[in-house]
Amino acid sequence: MGRKKIARSTTATVMVDDSSVTPTLEGNQGFSELHASLAKIGKIPGVKGYILKNLTSAVIDLKNPAKLVEYALLTSEVADACDESSILFDLNITRAVVTGKKLKMLGIILGENKLAIFMEKTVNHTDISDRILP
Amino acid sequence: MNTELQSFILKNAVDEIKKACPKVSNTFIFTDQGEILAKDDNIEEKAAACAANALNTVSKRSETIGGFESATFYNASNRVHVFRSNSYNLALVGSEESEGEVCSKLARILVPTVLKVIEKSCDFSDEETPAENLTAENEEQDGEKDSDLEAEVVTAVEVEPDEARKAEELAQTFLPDPPVTQLLIENVYGIVLGKDTARIDGRVIQQWVDLYGDLQIDEVEVETLNGQSTRCKFRPIKDAKHYGRGIIQLPQKIQQTLQTSKGELVIVKPVVE
Repeated sequence: MGRKKIARSTTATVMVDDSSVTPTLEGNQGFSELHASLAKIGKIPGVKGYILKNLTSAVIDLKNPAKLVEYALLTSEVADACDESSILFDLNITRAVVTGKKLKMLGIILGENKLAIFMEKTVNHTDISDRILP
Repeated sequence: MNTELQSFILKNAVDEIKKACPKVSNTFIFTDQGEILAKDDNIEEKAAACAANALNTVSKRSETIGGFESATFYNASNRVHVFRSNSYNLALVGSEESEGEVCSKLARILVPTVLKVIEKSCDFSDEETPAENLTAENEEQDGEKDSDLEAEVVTAVEVEPDEARKAEELAQTFLPDPPVTQLLIENVYGIVLGKDTARIDGRVIQQWVDLYGDLQIDEVEVETLNGQSTRCKFRPIKDAKHYGRGIIQLPQKIQQTLQTSKGELVIVKPVVE
Protein backbone atom coordinates (compact mmCIF):
# COMPACT_ATOMS: atom_id res chain seq x y z
CA MET A 1 0.00 0.00 0.00
CA GLY A 2 1.38 3.40 -0.96
CA ARG A 3 2.07 5.99 1.66
CA LYS A 4 0.63 9.44 1.46
CA LYS A 5 3.15 12.19 1.10
CA ILE A 6 2.42 15.53 2.66
CA ALA A 7 4.23 18.51 1.21
CA ARG A 8 4.70 21.39 3.59
CA SER A 9 5.73 24.91 2.90
CA THR A 10 7.24 26.53 5.93
CA THR A 11 7.98 30.16 6.43
CA ALA A 12 10.24 31.11 9.26
CA THR A 13 10.75 34.67 10.35
CA VAL A 14 13.74 35.31 12.52
CA MET A 15 14.28 38.62 14.27
CA VAL A 16 17.75 39.35 15.58
CA ASP A 17 18.17 42.44 17.72
CA ASP A 18 21.20 43.85 19.42
CA SER A 19 20.00 46.36 21.96
CA SER A 20 23.52 47.35 23.01
CA VAL A 21 23.83 49.43 19.86
CA THR A 22 21.16 52.06 19.39
CA PRO A 23 20.43 52.67 15.73
CA THR A 24 19.54 56.12 14.53
CA LEU A 25 15.88 56.91 14.20
CA GLU A 26 16.36 57.46 10.49
CA GLY A 27 18.01 54.06 10.08
CA ASN A 28 15.32 52.35 12.11
CA GLN A 29 12.58 53.92 10.04
CA GLY A 30 14.32 52.87 6.84
CA PHE A 31 14.68 49.36 8.15
CA SER A 32 11.01 49.17 9.11
CA GLU A 33 9.89 50.52 5.76
CA LEU A 34 12.09 48.06 3.95
CA HIS A 35 10.74 45.24 6.07
CA ALA A 36 7.19 46.26 5.18
CA SER A 37 8.06 46.38 1.46
CA LEU A 38 9.78 43.01 1.64
CA ALA A 39 6.81 41.48 3.40
CA LYS A 40 4.68 42.43 0.41
CA ILE A 41 7.32 41.28 -2.08
CA GLY A 42 7.53 37.96 -0.27
CA LYS A 43 3.98 37.24 -1.36
CA ILE A 44 4.76 37.58 -5.05
CA PRO A 45 4.58 34.17 -6.74
CA GLY A 46 8.04 32.80 -7.33
CA VAL A 47 9.69 34.76 -4.54
CA LYS A 48 11.40 32.30 -2.22
CA GLY A 49 12.17 34.67 0.61
CA TYR A 50 14.35 37.52 1.71
CA ILE A 51 17.04 38.60 4.12
CA LEU A 52 17.26 42.12 5.45
CA LYS A 53 19.99 43.23 7.78
CA ASN A 54 21.90 46.19 9.04
CA LEU A 55 24.51 46.58 11.74
CA THR A 56 22.04 45.94 14.55
CA SER A 57 19.08 43.97 13.20
CA ALA A 58 18.21 41.27 10.79
CA VAL A 59 15.02 39.84 9.38
CA ILE A 60 15.07 36.55 7.58
CA ASP A 61 12.00 35.16 5.91
CA LEU A 62 12.59 32.08 3.81
CA LYS A 63 10.18 29.48 2.54
CA ASN A 64 12.95 26.93 2.95
CA PRO A 65 14.51 27.69 6.35
CA ALA A 66 16.91 24.78 5.97
CA LYS A 67 18.93 26.91 3.59
CA LEU A 68 19.08 29.88 5.93
CA VAL A 69 22.83 29.68 6.52
CA GLU A 70 23.68 29.20 2.84
CA TYR A 71 21.47 32.10 1.81
CA ALA A 72 22.90 34.32 4.54
CA LEU A 73 26.44 33.53 3.43
CA LEU A 74 25.62 34.23 -0.20
CA THR A 75 24.01 37.52 0.79
CA SER A 76 27.09 38.49 2.72
CA GLU A 77 29.49 37.52 -0.10
CA VAL A 78 27.46 39.44 -2.66
CA ALA A 79 27.51 42.53 -0.46
CA ASP A 80 31.28 42.15 -0.08
CA ALA A 81 31.68 41.74 -3.85
CA CYS A 82 29.67 44.94 -4.34
CA ASP A 83 32.02 46.77 -2.00
CA GLU A 84 35.11 45.26 -3.59
CA SER A 85 33.95 46.10 -7.12
CA SER A 86 33.10 49.63 -6.06
CA ILE A 87 36.61 50.17 -4.74
CA LEU A 88 38.47 48.41 -7.57
CA PHE A 89 36.61 50.04 -10.43
CA ASP A 90 35.73 53.28 -8.73
CA LEU A 91 32.00 52.63 -8.93
CA ASN A 92 29.29 52.98 -6.37
CA ILE A 93 27.67 49.58 -6.71
CA THR A 94 24.41 49.33 -4.82
CA ARG A 95 22.61 46.46 -6.50
CA ALA A 96 23.43 42.99 -7.71
CA VAL A 97 21.65 40.18 -9.45
CA VAL A 98 23.22 36.77 -9.15
CA THR A 99 21.66 34.19 -11.42
CA GLY A 100 22.03 30.54 -10.57
CA LYS A 101 20.89 27.53 -12.52
CA LYS A 102 17.75 27.20 -10.38
CA LEU A 103 17.17 30.53 -8.67
CA LYS A 104 18.39 34.07 -8.72
CA MET A 105 19.15 36.56 -6.03
CA LEU A 106 18.62 40.29 -6.04
CA GLY A 107 20.88 42.12 -3.61
CA ILE A 108 20.44 45.76 -2.68
CA ILE A 109 22.53 48.02 -0.47
CA LEU A 110 20.70 51.00 0.99
CA GLY A 111 23.04 52.82 3.27
CA GLU A 112 23.66 50.52 6.18
CA ASN A 113 20.76 48.29 5.21
CA LYS A 114 21.57 45.31 3.05
CA LEU A 115 18.90 43.07 1.65
CA ALA A 116 18.68 40.02 -0.53
CA ILE A 117 15.63 38.60 -2.23
CA PHE A 118 15.65 35.05 -3.56
CA MET A 119 13.34 34.17 -6.39
CA GLU A 120 12.72 31.92 -9.31
CA LYS A 121 14.49 32.89 -12.48
CA THR A 122 11.23 33.78 -14.21
CA VAL A 123 10.40 36.50 -11.71
CA ASN A 124 11.07 40.04 -12.95
CA HIS A 125 13.73 41.29 -10.55
CA THR A 126 13.67 44.78 -12.09
CA ASP A 127 10.06 45.12 -11.04
CA ILE A 128 10.94 44.00 -7.54
CA SER A 129 13.89 46.36 -7.44
CA ASP A 130 11.62 49.22 -8.46
CA ARG A 131 9.27 48.43 -5.60
CA ILE A 132 12.12 48.96 -3.18
CA LEU A 133 13.85 51.80 -5.02
CA PRO A 134 11.09 53.63 -6.88
CA MET B 1 48.34 24.62 -27.67
CA ASN B 2 50.73 26.59 -25.53
CA THR B 3 49.60 29.00 -22.86
CA GLU B 4 51.02 32.04 -24.64
CA LEU B 5 49.00 31.32 -27.74
CA GLN B 6 45.89 30.71 -25.63
CA SER B 7 46.39 34.02 -23.82
CA PHE B 8 46.97 35.78 -27.13
CA ILE B 9 43.70 34.45 -28.57
CA LEU B 10 41.74 35.32 -25.44
CA LYS B 11 43.32 38.77 -25.32
CA ASN B 12 42.15 39.33 -28.88
CA ALA B 13 38.64 38.22 -27.93
CA VAL B 14 38.67 40.62 -24.99
CA ASP B 15 39.86 43.46 -27.23
CA GLU B 16 37.17 42.69 -29.79
CA ILE B 17 34.51 42.94 -27.11
CA LYS B 18 35.84 46.33 -26.11
CA LYS B 19 35.78 47.47 -29.72
CA ALA B 20 32.17 46.32 -30.11
CA CYS B 21 31.17 47.91 -26.82
CA PRO B 22 33.18 51.13 -26.49
CA LYS B 23 31.61 51.94 -23.15
CA VAL B 24 33.02 48.79 -21.62
CA SER B 25 35.98 50.10 -19.70
CA ASN B 26 37.49 46.87 -18.40
CA THR B 27 37.30 43.26 -19.48
CA PHE B 28 39.00 40.20 -18.11
CA ILE B 29 38.67 36.43 -18.19
CA PHE B 30 39.47 34.36 -15.14
CA THR B 31 39.26 30.80 -13.94
CA ASP B 32 37.55 29.37 -10.87
CA GLN B 33 40.95 29.32 -9.23
CA GLY B 34 41.30 33.08 -9.69
CA GLU B 35 43.88 32.87 -12.46
CA ILE B 36 43.59 35.76 -14.94
CA LEU B 37 43.68 34.26 -18.42
CA ALA B 38 43.30 37.50 -20.32
CA LYS B 39 42.65 41.14 -19.57
CA ASP B 40 42.53 44.40 -21.41
CA ASP B 41 45.31 46.94 -21.07
CA ASN B 42 43.29 49.32 -18.91
CA ILE B 43 43.12 47.10 -15.87
CA GLU B 44 46.03 46.16 -13.67
CA GLU B 45 46.76 42.51 -13.02
CA LYS B 46 46.38 43.01 -9.27
CA ALA B 47 42.98 44.68 -9.56
CA ALA B 48 41.74 41.99 -11.90
CA ALA B 49 42.97 39.30 -9.50
CA CYS B 50 41.25 40.95 -6.53
CA ALA B 51 38.00 41.27 -8.45
CA ALA B 52 38.28 37.69 -9.65
CA ASN B 53 38.68 36.47 -6.08
CA ALA B 54 35.64 38.40 -4.88
CA LEU B 55 33.55 37.20 -7.80
CA ASN B 56 34.73 33.62 -7.38
CA THR B 57 33.60 33.70 -3.77
CA VAL B 58 30.12 34.68 -4.93
CA SER B 59 30.30 31.99 -7.58
CA LYS B 60 31.15 29.31 -5.02
CA ARG B 61 28.41 30.42 -2.65
CA SER B 62 25.93 30.25 -5.52
CA GLU B 63 25.73 26.49 -5.17
CA THR B 64 22.74 27.16 -2.97
CA ILE B 65 20.87 28.66 -5.94
CA GLY B 66 21.80 25.82 -8.24
CA GLY B 67 25.29 26.89 -9.27
CA PHE B 68 26.59 30.12 -10.68
CA GLU B 69 25.48 31.26 -14.14
CA SER B 70 25.97 35.00 -14.20
CA ALA B 71 25.95 38.09 -12.06
CA THR B 72 25.48 41.79 -12.56
CA PHE B 73 26.62 44.34 -10.02
CA TYR B 74 25.30 47.77 -10.83
CA ASN B 75 24.15 51.22 -9.89
CA ALA B 76 22.24 53.83 -11.86
CA SER B 77 24.93 54.24 -14.52
CA ASN B 78 27.64 51.61 -14.09
CA ARG B 79 27.72 47.89 -14.04
CA VAL B 80 29.95 44.86 -13.70
CA HIS B 81 28.76 41.82 -15.61
CA VAL B 82 30.13 38.37 -14.94
CA PHE B 83 29.30 35.52 -17.28
CA ARG B 84 30.27 31.94 -16.73
CA SER B 85 31.18 29.45 -19.44
CA ASN B 86 32.46 26.00 -18.49
CA SER B 87 35.12 26.74 -15.90
CA TYR B 88 35.86 30.22 -17.18
CA ASN B 89 34.35 33.55 -16.17
CA LEU B 90 34.23 36.71 -18.19
CA ALA B 91 33.91 40.04 -16.41
CA LEU B 92 32.84 43.22 -18.18
CA VAL B 93 32.95 46.56 -16.43
CA GLY B 94 30.96 49.20 -18.22
CA SER B 95 28.97 52.31 -17.92
CA GLU B 96 26.26 52.02 -20.51
CA GLU B 97 23.01 50.25 -19.95
CA SER B 98 21.88 50.37 -23.58
CA GLU B 99 24.83 48.25 -24.63
CA GLY B 100 24.13 45.63 -22.05
CA GLU B 101 22.26 43.43 -24.49
CA VAL B 102 25.04 43.60 -27.08
CA CYS B 103 27.71 42.92 -24.50
CA SER B 104 25.72 40.09 -23.05
CA LYS B 105 25.33 38.44 -26.44
CA LEU B 106 28.98 38.94 -27.24
CA ALA B 107 30.00 37.50 -23.94
CA ARG B 108 27.67 34.57 -24.24
CA ILE B 109 28.56 33.77 -27.84
CA LEU B 110 32.01 35.03 -28.72
CA VAL B 111 33.96 34.08 -25.64
CA PRO B 112 32.50 30.58 -25.16
CA THR B 113 33.09 29.95 -28.88
CA VAL B 114 36.69 31.08 -28.62
CA LEU B 115 37.18 29.02 -25.49
CA LYS B 116 35.59 25.99 -27.11
CA VAL B 117 37.81 26.34 -30.16
CA ILE B 118 40.84 26.58 -27.91
CA GLU B 119 39.75 23.51 -25.96
CA LYS B 120 39.12 21.58 -29.16
CA SER B 121 42.49 22.65 -30.50
CA CYS B 122 44.11 21.44 -27.28
CA ASP B 123 42.28 18.12 -27.56
CA PHE B 124 43.34 17.85 -31.15
CA SER B 125 46.96 18.58 -30.27
CA ASP B 126 46.87 15.92 -27.58
CA GLU B 127 45.47 13.35 -29.96
CA GLU B 128 47.61 14.26 -32.91
CA THR B 129 50.56 12.06 -31.96
CA PRO B 130 48.65 8.83 -31.32
CA ALA B 131 46.68 9.31 -34.53
CA GLU B 132 49.89 9.71 -36.52
CA ASN B 133 51.32 6.64 -34.88
CA LEU B 134 48.27 4.66 -35.79
CA THR B 135 48.55 5.71 -39.44
CA ALA B 136 52.22 4.85 -39.51
CA GLU B 137 51.52 1.46 -38.02
CA ASN B 138 48.84 0.81 -40.59
CA GLU B 139 51.27 1.55 -43.37
CA GLU B 140 53.75 -0.94 -42.03
CA GLN B 141 51.31 -3.81 -42.64
CA ASP B 142 53.35 -6.31 -40.66
CA GLY B 143 52.16 -8.93 -38.23
CA GLU B 144 52.11 -6.62 -35.27
CA LYS B 145 49.93 -4.03 -36.99
CA ASP B 146 46.62 -5.71 -36.42
CA SER B 147 46.97 -6.16 -32.72
CA ASP B 148 48.03 -2.52 -32.39
CA LEU B 149 45.06 -1.38 -34.42
CA GLU B 150 42.73 -3.44 -32.31
CA ALA B 151 44.24 -1.94 -29.21
CA GLU B 152 43.53 1.51 -30.61
CA VAL B 153 39.90 0.64 -31.26
CA VAL B 154 39.49 -0.78 -27.78
CA THR B 155 40.93 2.43 -26.39
CA ALA B 156 38.46 4.43 -28.44
CA VAL B 157 35.57 2.45 -27.02
CA GLU B 158 36.66 3.00 -23.43
CA VAL B 159 35.76 6.67 -23.41
CA GLU B 160 35.46 8.51 -20.12
CA PRO B 161 31.93 9.79 -19.26
CA ASP B 162 32.99 13.43 -19.71
CA GLU B 163 34.50 12.71 -23.08
CA ALA B 164 31.38 10.85 -24.08
CA ARG B 165 29.26 13.81 -23.11
CA LYS B 166 31.50 16.14 -25.09
CA ALA B 167 31.28 13.82 -28.04
CA GLU B 168 27.50 13.84 -27.81
CA GLU B 169 27.46 17.62 -27.73
CA LEU B 170 29.72 17.66 -30.75
CA ALA B 171 27.48 15.21 -32.55
CA GLN B 172 24.50 17.41 -31.91
CA THR B 173 26.19 20.48 -33.32
CA PHE B 174 28.22 20.09 -36.49
CA LEU B 175 29.03 16.51 -37.34
CA PRO B 176 29.57 15.64 -40.98
CA ASP B 177 27.26 13.13 -42.60
CA PRO B 178 28.40 9.53 -42.16
CA PRO B 179 30.53 8.45 -45.13
CA VAL B 180 29.15 5.57 -47.15
CA THR B 181 31.59 2.85 -48.17
CA GLN B 182 30.98 -0.12 -50.41
CA LEU B 183 32.67 -3.28 -49.16
CA LEU B 184 32.95 -6.87 -50.37
CA ILE B 185 31.60 -9.58 -48.11
CA GLU B 186 33.82 -12.36 -46.83
CA ASN B 187 32.97 -15.08 -44.39
CA VAL B 188 34.33 -15.01 -40.89
CA TYR B 189 34.54 -17.92 -38.49
CA GLY B 190 35.62 -18.44 -34.93
CA ILE B 191 34.18 -18.20 -31.46
CA VAL B 192 36.21 -15.22 -30.27
CA LEU B 193 34.21 -12.77 -32.31
CA GLY B 194 30.52 -12.46 -31.50
CA LYS B 195 27.88 -13.59 -33.96
CA ASP B 196 26.70 -10.03 -34.26
CA THR B 197 30.09 -8.39 -34.81
CA ALA B 198 31.47 -7.59 -38.24
CA ARG B 199 35.14 -7.17 -39.09
CA ILE B 200 35.83 -4.20 -41.30
CA ASP B 201 38.83 -3.03 -43.30
CA GLY B 202 41.09 -1.10 -40.91
CA ARG B 203 41.59 1.69 -43.43
CA VAL B 204 37.85 2.40 -43.51
CA ILE B 205 37.75 2.55 -39.72
CA GLN B 206 40.76 4.86 -39.77
CA GLN B 207 38.90 7.20 -42.11
CA TRP B 208 36.04 7.37 -39.62
CA VAL B 209 38.47 8.12 -36.81
CA ASP B 210 40.02 10.89 -38.90
CA LEU B 211 36.59 12.31 -39.65
CA TYR B 212 34.99 12.12 -36.22
CA GLY B 213 37.99 12.36 -33.91
CA ASP B 214 37.29 10.94 -30.49
CA LEU B 215 33.58 10.49 -31.07
CA GLN B 216 32.63 7.02 -29.99
CA ILE B 217 31.33 4.84 -32.83
CA ASP B 218 29.98 1.56 -31.57
CA GLU B 219 27.99 0.28 -34.50
CA VAL B 220 27.80 0.32 -38.25
CA GLU B 221 24.82 0.12 -40.55
CA VAL B 222 25.23 -2.51 -43.23
CA GLU B 223 22.91 -2.39 -46.23
CA THR B 224 22.73 -4.67 -49.21
CA LEU B 225 22.17 -3.43 -52.73
CA ASN B 226 18.66 -4.89 -52.42
CA GLY B 227 17.86 -2.58 -49.57
CA GLN B 228 18.12 -5.06 -46.67
CA SER B 229 19.90 -3.44 -43.77
CA THR B 230 20.98 -4.12 -40.21
CA ARG B 231 23.09 -2.62 -37.50
CA CYS B 232 25.93 -4.46 -35.85
CA LYS B 233 29.05 -3.99 -33.80
CA PHE B 234 32.37 -3.97 -35.55
CA ARG B 235 36.08 -4.54 -35.17
CA PRO B 236 38.98 -4.07 -37.58
CA ILE B 237 40.09 -7.08 -39.64
CA LYS B 238 43.07 -8.64 -37.94
CA ASP B 239 44.86 -9.94 -40.96
CA ALA B 240 47.28 -7.27 -42.25
CA LYS B 241 47.02 -8.41 -45.85
CA HIS B 242 43.36 -7.31 -45.92
CA TYR B 243 44.21 -3.76 -45.00
CA GLY B 244 42.88 -1.29 -47.56
CA ARG B 245 41.24 -3.96 -49.70
CA GLY B 246 37.66 -2.91 -49.08
CA ILE B 247 36.53 -6.06 -47.31
CA ILE B 248 33.94 -6.68 -44.65
CA GLN B 249 33.87 -10.03 -42.89
CA LEU B 250 30.34 -10.91 -41.81
CA PRO B 251 29.29 -13.79 -39.56
CA GLN B 252 26.70 -16.15 -41.03
CA LYS B 253 24.00 -14.78 -38.76
CA ILE B 254 24.34 -11.27 -40.19
CA GLN B 255 24.56 -12.61 -43.73
CA GLN B 256 21.27 -14.46 -43.16
CA THR B 257 19.65 -11.36 -41.76
CA LEU B 258 20.71 -9.41 -44.82
CA GLN B 259 19.88 -12.30 -47.16
CA THR B 260 23.29 -11.97 -48.72
CA SER B 261 26.48 -14.01 -48.94
CA LYS B 262 30.21 -14.01 -49.58
CA GLY B 263 31.26 -12.11 -52.69
CA GLU B 264 28.30 -9.72 -52.60
CA LEU B 265 28.70 -5.98 -52.07
CA VAL B 266 27.24 -4.11 -49.14
CA ILE B 267 27.12 -0.45 -48.23
CA VAL B 268 28.54 0.33 -44.82
CA LYS B 269 28.34 3.53 -42.81
CA PRO B 270 29.15 4.33 -39.19
CA VAL B 271 26.25 4.94 -36.84
CA VAL B 272 26.87 8.43 -35.48
CA GLU B 273 24.37 9.48 -32.80
